[in-house]
Amino acid sequence: MVRLFTPLFLNILSIVYLILVSQVPESRTGNPNGPIYFPMAIGIFMLLCSIVYFIQEWKHRKEEVAEFKKLMAGRTPFLIGSTIVLILIYSFLFERIGFLYSTILFLGGLLFTVNGKKHWLQNILIAVIFSFISWYSFAELLQVSLP
Amino acid sequence: MKKLLGILSLLFVMFIMGCSSDGSTEGSEDESNFPEKDIEFVAPASPGGGWDGTARAMQKILTDEEVVDENINVVNKPGGSGEVGWQYLTSKDAHNITINSSLVITNNLLGQSELTYKDFTPLGVLTTEWISIAVPPESEYEEGSEVMEQLKKDPTSMKIGVAPGLGNNDHLSFIQAAKEYGVDVPKLEFQIYESGGDVVSALLGGHIDVASMSVSEAKEQHLAGKFKMIAVSSEERIEGLEEVPTWEEQGVDMVFPHWRGIMGPPDMTEEEIAYWDEKIEEMVETDAWKTLLKNNEWQSYYKDSQESKEFLQQQTENYEDLLNESGLTE
Amino acid sequence: MGVDFQNVIEGLLVSIQPINLLWVLIGGFLGTVVGMLPGLGPATAVAVLIPITFGMDPTSALILMAAIYYGAMYGGSRSSILLNTPGDGSAIAATFDGYPMSQKGQAGQALTLSAIASLIGGMFAIIGFILLAKPLATFALRFGPAEYFMLMIFTLSAIVSLSKGNMVKGFISMSVGLILSTVGIDLQTGVHRFTFDVPQLSEGIDFLVVIIGIYAVGEVLYNYLAIDSLKAEKKKVGNKWITKEQWKVSKWPMIRSGPLGFLIGVLPGAGGSIASMLSYTTERQLSKNPENFGKGAPEGLAAPESANNAASVGAFIPLLTMGIPGSGTTAVILGAVIMLGLRPGPLLFEDNPEMVWTLVNSMFIGNIMLVILNILLVGLLVRILDTPPKILYPLILVLAFIGTYTLSYSMVDFYILIIFGFIGLFMKLLKFPIAPLILAVIVGTDMEQNFRKSLVAHDNYLNIFFASSIATTLTILTILSVMYPFILGWIQKRRQKQA
Repeated sequence: MVRLFTPLFLNILSIVYLILVSQVPESRTGNPNGPIYFPMAIGIFMLLCSIVYFIQEWKHRKEEVAEFKKLMAGRTPFLIGSTIVLILIYSFLFERIGFLYSTILFLGGLLFTVNGKKHWLQNILIAVIFSFISWYSFAELLQVSLP
Repeated sequence: MKKLLGILSLLFVMFIMGCSSDGSTEGSEDESNFPEKDIEFVAPASPGGGWDGTARAMQKILTDEEVVDENINVVNKPGGSGEVGWQYLTSKDAHNITINSSLVITNNLLGQSELTYKDFTPLGVLTTEWISIAVPPESEYEEGSEVMEQLKKDPTSMKIGVAPGLGNNDHLSFIQAAKEYGVDVPKLEFQIYESGGDVVSALLGGHIDVASMSVSEAKEQHLAGKFKMIAVSSEERIEGLEEVPTWEEQGVDMVFPHWRGIMGPPDMTEEEIAYWDEKIEEMVETDAWKTLLKNNEWQSYYKDSQESKEFLQQQTENYEDLLNESGLTE
Repeated sequence: MGVDFQNVIEGLLVSIQPINLLWVLIGGFLGTVVGMLPGLGPATAVAVLIPITFGMDPTSALILMAAIYYGAMYGGSRSSILLNTPGDGSAIAATFDGYPMSQKGQAGQALTLSAIASLIGGMFAIIGFILLAKPLATFALRFGPAEYFMLMIFTLSAIVSLSKGNMVKGFISMSVGLILSTVGIDLQTGVHRFTFDVPQLSEGIDFLVVIIGIYAVGEVLYNYLAIDSLKAEKKKVGNKWITKEQWKVSKWPMIRSGPLGFLIGVLPGAGGSIASMLSYTTERQLSKNPENFGKGAPEGLAAPESANNAASVGAFIPLLTMGIPGSGTTAVILGAVIMLGLRPGPLLFEDNPEMVWTLVNSMFIGNIMLVILNILLVGLLVRILDTPPKILYPLILVLAFIGTYTLSYSMVDFYILIIFGFIGLFMKLLKFPIAPLILAVIVGTDMEQNFRKSLVAHDNYLNIFFASSIATTLTILTILSVMYPFILGWIQKRRQKQA
């Protein structure tokens, strides 16, 4: 049954989109429905495709989806989870403590998660050197404004 | 060893990116209390955009001509037609200034922003461009007034090209002229292009009948005979384009500048305002600034902080009127 | 419109002045390096390097910026080939076969081949420029809203038709892309659509963020699935030099794609993404072994590389002959040279032809320099693959975020980036084709705006499809490209019956 999740999700997505389209305010200039035509057409097209996709998958509904198993296997969920947490922390800190420090923390965190604690020295060195070089080349040499 | 080499080469790639340092000048201490630290110049646009270019050019002039002793850094905050950058400025102190244009007024009137010019400290108006009306060379119309007469008879008879959005200067100046002639404005058929360049190519290719664009975008094409400018929004005829009549000569009481200015965060002190008045006045007198204006086909339109405030007030009233007229607001 | 060869020669003499040669070299090198980083494409490369040009002579500035531009086009495909993380729309097609080649242990050859293809494409375009600049500029003007609309429909349908076997997935992927492109202020009416009061969304979702999210972040997440089994890839990156066999199969595709890419590049607003995608699909349809495409076919890499570089040269034609920037990058260049007091336009070509020819000649020289430079860099670049994946992927992730920050300077894009990272991950898991989504995001807004403009121009919407001979041709091509897989299947069935 796992197979049907995606087509079902896509069907719901198209319907939600079509509802949002119907709520787009009318234009006060030109054709009042102008902004709606194109999104409406895509929404309907997407809905039709999703229905066809659903029917296709329905025929194979008994078959397993190997990829999803991989997603849940080993330390993949942990890796993906910690990456998201790290990204959120990074976004939070980025403008507060500045590019250089937040990037060292972010990259260090990622390396410790992915590369493992065993290689701690390597991790720290890469995090510091890489962050510094990218900060230096963007902020100082290219004059890109970084926080 | 291989591993290390891999990492090193990646680092190398990062490093060699910057053989191109153009050194920034060293900061020095100023006797007065303000400014006490580096100046931050907020460009409410991405690198490469018009506002970014203006900000970086001003940064260079203010530093090179030693008008301002502190370091000046340009910070890009693009998004929402300036909204993002200006929002950012509201929480800063007087060491941060930004560029503005009529968008600071129209964003609010169009309901796209809570902020008005009153939420900032106007520090000056610097430049203006004038706006022209152009038609293809084989067009039967020789003057802006004839186009308007035609649109009065049938507002849908011509496709009008403007860029880059409704409610901007190119659009509103056309509406102001049309209004004066008694054209049924909300019925006009505007075609909105993403950039001035797109409008030029649409007009050259005959995909639109008339276009409203800044004089700088139209000048080269006009001089090369690729299309005809038939009206400009300035007070007097423009140097180098003496054959193009102004709207005023064609019986429309209208002068329509497309101005750019400078503003700072809210609640600046008298002293801080005076500092910027002095520095900006000094800047607009430099030769480098005059060259910049000439290269960009901008006209000087300098107003100090006090005059700017009045100017913005009067502009707000005008824009409010025009937006109502166009049907964009009620 | 003949060419005054006197001017061409004069331009050549100026362009080989040592200072100008130096600028070409510096620009090409910087462009290559910046373009290589995931998330930084030609437009960003030129934009962040503009301050260098302040105070320069306009001709040299133009030479420098053009060199950065095509340097970034060379560099852009490096990360596509090695890491499956394109930095710009025009480098996407290089992932289709370039990355599989890398995985097969032919990374060195892929890099060399793409550099040679870029050179050949660039050369065709430069010759085209010299002979045809003016008539082509006039031709490009004939593209009105209806013609652009049809060109975009045609490109999208050609890309969807690549997802053989499962066109439905391709169409869904395309629809999602188009839906994304409808976010933001509607240009024609000023109405806010799906912006949910977030000011950063009012200008729409930047397609580069989508590319970085789906490709770079998605690729990293996808590789997490097997990260513990991925060893430091002791692949033989093998030969730098391409084999005779590879040259033979990619020779004609390169030569055909040059002019095609050049023509599309001349059209304002079409650009490298459309050029490279169209040349890829064309070559696949002409190929005797279309089943090899997507599995590391050299011709599938050579064709789009040739086309996108040709397009980048073509994009200078509307800029230099009419002052109309044909792409995001040329718009940035235009802004910069105006600051320096040079205003490209119809008069430039008449009053200052030697300047135009200086640029063209410097492009010629620059392309040759870049090929040498890039082939020299191959040895260094393939070493990136020696980096252990456990270190490489975190670094890519960080670069993706930095690249995104330089696009918009806003945190909102960081969140959008994560979302697209996940979309990318799931699309890879579920085997949804990614290219239709990306291309739809790139062309979606323009496609809708052109559709709406042509509705105003033509009273009956059916007329759009047959508005002119160009539109009619494109309509027929679109129908053919959608029907092509079916026709092919039908022919194969008949053959089998006969056999």
